[in-house]
This record gives sequence, C-alpha cells and structure tokens, in this order.
Amino acid sequence: MKIRSLHILLAIIVIVGGGILLATEFGFYKTIKEKTPGKITEGVYVISDIRGSHTLEEIERYYQLPASSVIEAFGLKVDTNPDTFKLKDLKEIFKPAEIEGEEYMIETDTVRVFTSLYSKNPYISDETFYLPESTVNYLVENNKLDEKEKEYWLGHTFKAEYLEGDNLVGSETSILSENTVKEVVEETEEFEITGATTIQELLDQGITEEKFEEISGLKVPEDKTRTAKDFFDEKEVEFKDIKDKFREILGI
Amino acid sequence: MNKKQNKNKRLIRLAVQIFFLALIVLISFNHFRSEQGLEPLLIGSPSLHAVCPFGGVVTLYSYFTEGTFIQKISQSSFTLMWLILGLTLLFGPVFCGWICPFGTVQEFLGKIGRKIFKKRYNHFIPIKLDTLLRYIRYIILILVVVKTATSAKLLFSNFDPYFALFNIWSDEVTRLSLFILAVVLIASLFIERPWCKYFCPLGALLGIFNFFRIVKLKRNEKTCINCKACDRICPMNINISTSKTVSNHQCISCMLCTDEITCPVNNTLNFSFLEKQNSQEKIKKGTKVHISGGEK
Repeated sequence: MKIRSLHILLAIIVIVGGGILLATEFGFYKTIKEKTPGKITEGVYVISDIRGSHTLEEIERYYQLPASSVIEAFGLKVDTNPDTFKLKDLKEIFKPAEIEGEEYMIETDTVRVFTSLYSKNPYISDETFYLPESTVNYLVENNKLDEKEKEYWLGHTFKAEYLEGDNLVGSETSILSENTVKEVVEETEEFEITGATTIQELLDQGITEEKFEEISGLKVPEDKTRTAKDFFDEKEVEFKDIKDKFREILGI
Repeated sequence: MNKKQNKNKRLIRLAVQIFFLALIVLISFNHFRSEQGLEPLLIGSPSLHAVCPFGGVVTLYSYFTEGTFIQKISQSSFTLMWLILGLTLLFGPVFCGWICPFGTVQEFLGKIGRKIFKKRYNHFIPIKLDTLLRYIRYIILILVVVKTATSAKLLFSNFDPYFALFNIWSDEVTRLSLFILAVVLIASLFIERPWCKYFCPLGALLGIFNFFRIVKLKRNEKTCINCKACDRICPMNINISTSKTVSNHQCISCMLCTDEITCPVNNTLNFSFLEKQNSQEKIKKGTKVHISGGEK
C-alpha cells in the first residue's frame, strides 16, 4: 500500500489527537507539573527542592519522612489529609512568632530544616534559625538529633501558636511537646468531667472531634451544647468508661 | 499529476506544520498570561515542558526505577512520548518533519536562505565533516538521558533552543540557550534544519526508528530515471537516488522526495508497506503518464 500525505495527516489526527483524547479520558494526560525534586544520589532528594506546593504525601514519597511525623511534630490536626495538605498551608495555621525583634513563620523552610534533621540529609537554611518547640521535642524524642544539634536546637525554639482555635492540635497529648502538655495540665487543673459537662466543653479542653469519635465510636453531634452524659446515655454507651478515657487524655 | 495537484500535496504538510506552530505559540502565550494572573485563551495554559515528548524520554529512567517523573515533567509529556514513538514506529520521524514547531521555524528560515544562496544553500559543509557532525546528536542524547537520570533535573532545558524560542519572555530561559537559539536561527539561513541534523536528541532517538519502521521509503530501481531530484529536494541531504530502501537515520518522513511531490516518475519513490512488487504493466503505465506529461 502506498502512503500519501493525506495518510500521514490522518495518522497524526488518529494517533496523536485520538491518543491525547483517549489518554485524557483515562486520566493519563495531565499537564500539571509534577513537583519532583532533584536527586543527590539514588533515592536521596535535594532538601532545598522542597516547595510550598508539595503535599505531605509527596514529602513522604521523596524524603522518607512519614506524613504522620510532620503532623505530629508540627501539631497539626490528626485528620490532616497528607494528599491535599500543602506545606504553604502551614502559614494559614500558625501565627508568626516574634523572636529577638524578628518575625518567624512556620512555613516551607521550617519543614526543610525539619526534614534535613529527621533524615540526616544536608541542608543549610539562611532563614530558619528557630524551630517550634514541639518539632524539636519530637526530634529529640525520636533520637534524630546528635549532641551538637540537640544543644543548638533545644536553645532555639519558640512556642507555636495557632491562628484559629479550630486548628488546635490536642487530639493526642503525646503529640504535644512536654512543655505544652504541662500547660494543658495546668489549664485543665480546675476542669472536671461531670454529668453536667457539655460536649463543647470537652472539645474546648482539647478533645478533638476525631479523638471523640475514636474513643466513643460516635460522631460528635451537631448540638454540642448537650451534656456528654445525656448524649452517651441516649446512645446507650457507658458514660463512666468514656469519661475515664477523656480524663486520661486531658491528664486529669 | 499536474503542478497544481503537486502543490496541494505540499500544502497538507504545510498546514499541519502551521497548525502545530500556532498551537505551541498559543500555549506559550497562555502560559505567560496565566503567570500574569490572566485567563488563558481558547485552550489551557500548560508549560511547554508538558507538551514536549522529549520530557517523556528523559524521565523514563526515573519512571521505571522510582515510579516518578523528573522535575518539571508531567504525565502528559510521558503519554505524548509513547504516542510519538508509536507514530514513528509506523511512519518514521513524522514528528520531526510534520509536527515539531522548532523544525518548522528552521525550515521557514531555510526558505529565505534558499532564495539567497540558491543551489549553494544546504551544501556549505563538506560531506565528510557533515557525516561526522550528524552523530553529535546521539552523544547529546546519551549525555542528556544519563545526566537527567542521575540528577532527576531537567538539565536539557538549560540549553534547549526550542524552549528558549517559545519561552523567550520567561526568566527560566538561560543565556546559554538564547545563544544556542541565535546560532541555530542564523545557521538555518545556510543549512536546512541545522539543529535537527546535528544536535537534536529527540531527533536522534526518533531517527533510529528509520532502521525498522513499518512504512518504508522505497525506490524502484527499474523505473528510476536517475534524475536525482529526490537528492536535491531532501532537507536532510540524504542520498536517496542510490538506495533501494531508504533507511537513513536522518530521514524525517517529510515526503518531499516521493513521487507524490517531487519524483517525476509515478510508482518509483514512495512510502509503502505490505506492498508486493508492482506489476510491470502498472509501472510502465505510470511512467508514461508522467514522462509524457513533462512536468519535471
């Protein structure tokens, strides 16, 4: 068979045009940039290539830093979705901290430094000289710092403050730094869970909705002004058992 | 076939070339608009990397070893690479001769050069040197693939004149790539498709397919009148008139040499597959029509 210009034209339309349409239909034609970092050696990626648009899942994939570790170390909500949470989102969660007259943000470069310390992958930052207290404590607790690093970073921490109460960590006391736990304990010394305690009060004390659901197996009701006792009685759940678990979390 | 019909056949490829050139210019313009916070026109605003199949080639190693694409490369270029490889396996480097906008730009500039230098155009470099230079693109291909595999960075964009030309407004374009672009554009006035011939790594890869492509360029020795019109028209300076089946690694499947466009004898030089030997009668008939037509 003789091939003419028209055949080539048709082949381009069918193979290239049709191929693109088909690939788009099946999700194999995405033109959005894959934010792949550069490599130092096989499997070791360049820390400075971490970008604000990277998700926690991408950080886990490239830097072997589990998303759960970032969530825990930075005190993010436990239900933070690693696939959608981008590092630049940190700016929307934490208030800037003022240290020695300078404003410090918890942002992408903070994660770069954390990743570098966690994975022993070299990175020199020219902007992050302080880390959130909870982050340093996490690294210390998990033996990720050598003596020199420990000495430096324990002396260069600041207390992370959330922009909105809604973002408060608190789902697991273990994820809070030692000092923060002390604070929570101090704050909750006066607090006691009784039959009159409302669900809102429990949430305000640091029991997150996720923890509430995990412990009770029930979703937090829309009406949070109800007493916890009434709610659990209605659901035929033993309030006493639940109360003890909540108390344990709150360190009462 | 008269001259008018012959011209119409040329127009098909020209239309395809202009379409893809306009498409890339629009994509580039849209990308610029989107970076300025403006809405893209008609189509989306992907980056040029996302619509270049060579991105798929340089990310192959990373994809098969780690399941990821290298920096700046998206899934679309990987998919495009497979589509282009499929097209090339069938028809040879059609991408180079018909689709690649950078090839088109060089070809258009070449038309000016042809007018200036007439017959000397595309024959400035001594044949021996020219033959050697044509292997540079394979060295570049190997270097780019290996270096990209070890660094996972799109290093080629640092000296890619195609990226420089269509992204000239961007600060991503390096001075080196602008310099290479200028050299290539100027060289295009003397040599047809200099980048494609000597340096293009994608052209190198696709060129290899010329050895085993399904649709082959075949020359009928019995009917060939040895006028060498095919040799003269070939933008890649391939010596077509001495081969039975043309499988030169530089062929870009432009079809200019075929009896559809240039060869004056029907059924003598064309791309074909699954074709038995033409009957003598058919050949003779075709020859008569053409030669008596006296169009060439």
